[in-house]
Amino acid sequence: MKVLILDSGILINLSMNGLLYILEELKNITGLKIIITKDVKTETIDRPIGIPKFELGALRVQNLLNLKIIDLPDSIQVSDNQINSLTKEFMELANHSIQSHNQFIQIVSNAEMSCLALSKILSDKNIENIIGIDERTTRVISEKPENLEKLMSDKLHQKISINKKKLITFSEFKFIRSSELIFAAFKKGAIKLKGPKVLEAALYAVKYHGSSVSFEEIDVLKKL
Amino acid sequence: MFIEKEECIHIIGLLERAKKALLNKDSNILRDLSDQTVHSACNYQDSGSITISVLIYTLSKLVEREDFKKIKNWEEFIKKFNSILDLAIKAINSSNQSKYEKYVEMARTLLQSQISLKQYIQDVFKKASINKGSKIYEHGLSLEHTAKLLGTSQWELSEYIGQKHFESSHIQTMDVKKRAKMAMEFFS
Repeated sequence: MKVLILDSGILINLSMNGLLYILEELKNITGLKIIITKDVKTETIDRPIGIPKFELGALRVQNLLNLKIIDLPDSIQVSDNQINSLTKEFMELANHSIQSHNQFIQIVSNAEMSCLALSKILSDKNIENIIGIDERTTRVISEKPENLEKLMSDKLHQKISINKKKLITFSEFKFIRSSELIFAAFKKGAIKLKGPKVLEAALYAVKYHGSSVSFEEIDVLKKL
Repeated sequence: MFIEKEECIHIIGLLERAKKALLNKDSNILRDLSDQTVHSACNYQDSGSITISVLIYTLSKLVEREDFKKIKNWEEFIKKFNSILDLAIKAINSSNQSKYEKYVEMARTLLQSQISLKQYIQDVFKKASINKGSKIYEHGLSLEHTAKLLGTSQWELSEYIGQKHFESSHIQTMDVKKRAKMAMEFFS
C-alpha cells in the first residue's frame, strides 16, 4: 500500500482551481490511498463550510471524503490518539527551535504537523508514503532549516538562532507540492484537458493559489 | 508571550507617532508604522501587536482614500481613539501587558462601531488582516499558523499570497527535477 498524505493548502489550492478530480484519477491509475488528518479536515471542511465565500470549496472537499476518494486515518488503522500525541511532540519541537531575543518564535500549527505525525507512523509500519504540502515553512524546516534562519534573520533584521539538532527529527520526510502533483497527474494522463499549454496553465494556476513554486521551477517542469 | 522592555519602548514610540499621524491625516506614516509592527507581531505573536498592526493599516486606508470624511465627527472620533492609545501607552509603560491588550481591543471596538461606515470598516479591516497576514507569512511563519494569528482563513490567505511575488532563494530546498522524479516514482 502507498499513501499520499495531503495537507490543507494543497486541497484548498486544487479546490480553488477546480482540479480536485485529479485525485480520483490518480487514485484509480495508481491504486494509492489518499489520507487527510482530522486537523486537515477541520481546515478544509469544518471551518470554511461556515464561511459563505468558501462554502462551495469546502463542500467539494467534503464530497471527496463522502465518495471515499480521500479517507481519514482510521481507514488504515491509525488512530487519532496516535496522531495527536505525535503532533503535539512535533509542535513542541518545531515551535521551540527558533529563537530571537531569547524567546522562541512559534512557526507552525497543528494541521501541517499532523501530516508529519501520520507520515512517521506509516513509515514506522513500513508503509510507503509521501506528504503533499504547499506549506513552505514545514518543507524548509525539514529539508533545509538553515534557509529559514536566513529568511527570518533578513526579514526581522535581527539575529535568529536555530537549533538544528532539534530539527533533525524532521529530516526524514518526503514532500511534494501541488506543482509536482500536477506534473505527475499530467504525465499519468489524469488531467482531462489536452494540448501543449495544459501543463504550463495548470502549474501557473496552482502557483497563483499559494503553491510556493517559482517561475524558474515551472520552466524546468515544463521541459521535463 | 511576555514583551521585553526594549520592545515596549518601541511600541510606545510607535503609538505616539500613530497618534500624531492620525491628527495630521498622514496615511504614508500610518502605513509605515503598520509595517513596523509586523516585526513585533512575528516575534511575540501577542494579540496587542497583531491588532495594532491591522488597526493602523485600516486607518491608513481610511485616510488615504479620504473615506474618513464619511465618519460622523471624525475629529471627535480621533480624540477618543487617541485617548485610548494614551491608556495603552500608559499600560505598556508600566509593563502591564494584559491591560495594554485590553486597551488595544477597546480601540478596535471603537473603530468598528462607527455606525456610518460599519460595513465598510469591517471590509477594510478584513482586507487589512489579510494584508498583514501576508507580511507575517513573508517573515517565515507557516500559512496555517499565520491565519490563526490573524483570525482569518487559510483559504483567504492562500488566494492573496498566490498573487504576491516573494523572494524565492530561501525557500528552495530541493532541486525541482529531483522532486518531480520523486513524485513520478511514487505514482508509478
